[in-house]
Amino acid sequence: MATGADVRDILELGGTDNDGPISKKDLINSDKKKSKKATETLTFKRPEGMHREVYALLYSDKKDAPPLLPSDTTQGYRTVKAKLGCKKVRPWKWMPFTNPARKDGAIFHHWRRMAEEGKDYPFARFNKTVQVPVYSEQEYQMHLHDDGWTKGETDHLFDLCKRFDLRFVVIHDRYDYQQYRKRSIEDLKERYYNICGKLTKVRAASGTEPKIYIFDAGHERRRKEQLEKLFNRTPEQVAEEEYLIQELRKIENRKKEREKKAQDLQKLIKAADTTTELRRAEKRVSKKKLPQKRDTEKPAVPETAGIKFPDFKSAGVTLRSQRMKLPSSVGQKKIKAIEQILAEQGVDLNPMPTEEIVQMFNELRSDLVLLYELKQAHSNCEYEQQMLRHRYEALLKAGSGAGCGGLTGGGIAGVPQGGDLSALNSTASSTPGVEAQSWPNVDDIKVEPKEQIIDVVGAPLTPNSRKRRESASSSSSVKKAKKP
Amino acid sequence: MSGGVYGGDEVGALVFDIGSYSVRAGYAGEDCPKADFPTVIGVTIDRDDGSTPMETDGDKSKQSGTTYYIDTNQLRVPRESMEVMSPLKNGMSKYSVCWKSLNVFLTIYWNTRAKREKLTELMFEHYNIPAFFLCKSAVLSAFANGRSTGLVLDSGATHTTAIPVHDGYVLQQGIVKSPLAGDFMSMQCRELFQELSVEIIPPYMIASKDPVREGSPASWKKKEKLPQVTRSWHNYMCNCVIQDFQASVLQVSDSPYDEQVAAQMPTVHYELPNGYNCDFGAERLKIPEGLFDPSNAKGLSGNTMLGVGHVVTTSVGMCDIDIRPGLYGSVVVTGGNTLIQGFTDRLNRELSQKTPPSMRLKLIANNTTVERRFSAWIGGSILASLGTFQQMWISKQEYEEGGKQCVDRKCP
Repeated sequence: MATGADVRDILELGGTDNDGPISKKDLINSDKKKSKKATETLTFKRPEGMHREVYALLYSDKKDAPPLLPSDTTQGYRTVKAKLGCKKVRPWKWMPFTNPARKDGAIFHHWRRMAEEGKDYPFARFNKTVQVPVYSEQEYQMHLHDDGWTKGETDHLFDLCKRFDLRFVVIHDRYDYQQYRKRSIEDLKERYYNICGKLTKVRAASGTEPKIYIFDAGHERRRKEQLEKLFNRTPEQVAEEEYLIQELRKIENRKKEREKKAQDLQKLIKAADTTTELRRAEKRVSKKKLPQKRDTEKPAVPETAGIKFPDFKSAGVTLRSQRMKLPSSVGQKKIKAIEQILAEQGVDLNPMPTEEIVQMFNELRSDLVLLYELKQAHSNCEYEQQMLRHRYEALLKAGSGAGCGGLTGGGIAGVPQGGDLSALNSTASSTPGVEAQSWPNVDDIKVEPKEQIIDVVGAPLTPNSRKRRESASSSSSVKKAKKP
Repeated sequence: MSGGVYGGDEVGALVFDIGSYSVRAGYAGEDCPKADFPTVIGVTIDRDDGSTPMETDGDKSKQSGTTYYIDTNQLRVPRESMEVMSPLKNGMSKYSVCWKSLNVFLTIYWNTRAKREKLTELMFEHYNIPAFFLCKSAVLSAFANGRSTGLVLDSGATHTTAIPVHDGYVLQQGIVKSPLAGDFMSMQCRELFQELSVEIIPPYMIASKDPVREGSPASWKKKEKLPQVTRSWHNYMCNCVIQDFQASVLQVSDSPYDEQVAAQMPTVHYELPNGYNCDFGAERLKIPEGLFDPSNAKGLSGNTMLGVGHVVTTSVGMCDIDIRPGLYGSVVVTGGNTLIQGFTDRLNRELSQKTPPSMRLKLIANNTTVERRFSAWIGGSILASLGTFQQMWISKQEYEEGGKQCVDRKCP
């Protein structure tokens, strides 16, 4: 879309965006305005050579000068024009030259400016070679002798190194196989660097520690072997590897979920225990002990259990009934459950908000929610236990020949806490595959399920279990009425 | 020019690229060869009964002995008893060009040591050139595309080769050759025409022709007073017609040849010089399929031939594993045969199937005809005009001191 500034630019009217829409006057009398306006709008003008659209990206119509650092645009955006000087033409001459990089002093001819006659050939300085050490016969006999390499072969190797500037790939390619043995690149490199190292050591002045490049041929060979294997992988192998990685990720995720759920459960149980403990502690020591004890115990109650009623701290006058209001974080189901229980027990849903009643009512509702959560967790665990039991029996009946005993344990082990059937199916089917590859130890799988089962269903073994059972029984009357 | 932006320094050199189908020749520093003529010579042997062949050279015809005709202008005129032969059979070139004052840069695709030495000897002894350099065409093709490392796939007239080039040197252990190339295609086209029982009549025989309907036999009149041409020359002219057909009609399909898919492809109309015209549909896909999948092709002895994709992967497979990514990252496609429509796409597809998925594959294929056919020549032109190259020539002095073995050392 052409903006006002674009149009001005195209028609070369000049002028900033302050001028408003272009009118007929601008166009017809444009030649008069051009000279006047060009001088005024220096800062906003796009640099010469920069395309209109590029400039528009930077500075659009209505904006002020851009917040960028002003850069030197004279360098990039210039259409290069031929710089025609007005001086006399410098004559060129077809003259002979010798290249100092050549050994034979051959004479070639080329065109050069007459002024540069006699100067050095500028490209001779590019003649760089790699420094390949040269050893004498004596040195060879004394230090560089090796069983696998004859002198001739070593000489040939060094000759090639010099010719090809230590490009070992090419050296290996041009190595004379007919005359000498077939060598791998690592062999050649090993021999070369060995000799270099020895020569530096021998030739170094006494007392100095020369730096030697150590070449680890074994490592190189192994590395190349591994690369070869990687290169030659079939697509099936690649797919298999990806599949395995995915499975691993799935298993790890499930493990995390399980742990999380176990943790949640633990928290819940802890909360339940601590609240009951708190109550009893309060009843016992309400008059005798200092209130400080209460403060130290209170923070032990985990926040997730029950309802946290927001502490109302506002300036001025408030109604106490505000404190009785349920926070919005409590879910619909929980609200319903609370209401139901209260209705059954014949408790008024909205009692008179005296100080004591408010506090007790809040505590009551918090406890109810806690109870509800505990019940839910309990029923979940029961359900899972049932399912596992059924699965276990099913696996026992079906195909449980010799050697599948471990598998069944594995089958249970792989069960996620989420309890969805599809996941169960996949793990049960993957474990036979796992077995076939003898990948993880079956023993490991056996050990794990026991722990997990303990995690999930092992309520009787936790330290607070006795108290939990008691707390559960204390609200047993409530429990009977309500069904999950 | 001295120095300049590109490091160029011309010393005045001629660049020759001798291929099996055509010879490219020109001056170093230019971007395309000045001369591009077929690598065939017409040879007439003077008869003792005095019948002299017609030619434009005038005085030279007086010599008794063999006369040579090069270039299409002289070659394609029907002459009596002119045999056509390729000068490359014995590795000696018979072109007499004035090479005396200029340095000669030659590129050739074959690289047996004996032939190279013989060529060097010929250049210096017979033609007395001041300086000489011999380079492998694969290296130059890579240079012309701006690469010093890469796999050069050269599909020309006589063979398809994959040559790995590393750092400007050819890795001889990795060269893979396959005879399935342009000439093979021509042979298949010939067979196709035989199957369709269509006669190939080269243009030199045709005096006039009438338009006929599609598919019906041609109606044309033969020229009178045609000289007695040799069999080889006639074959050569027929080959020219087939090559024209090959270049304009054939196409490589995107995926391995499938009867149904091929039947649905649009047909191409082609008219032979004698007036026979026809629509070609499935055949135009079927014939080049032999390049990629030799089991398809007719008349091949056994299935030991490699398709183009296999040629490339085998060649790379024979190289050190460290340089393989470098080779796959610049696969240079050159050669006249690769100009068949759809060749590069199919090659790309085949290679991406055969290489491991993590490998970066890049095919470098110039789109213009000039650059693909002449890439070796262009590389030679670039190299011969570089300032840093001028130390690498084999000068006459060096040759005299070192003998012909110096070509092995100086021209890698």
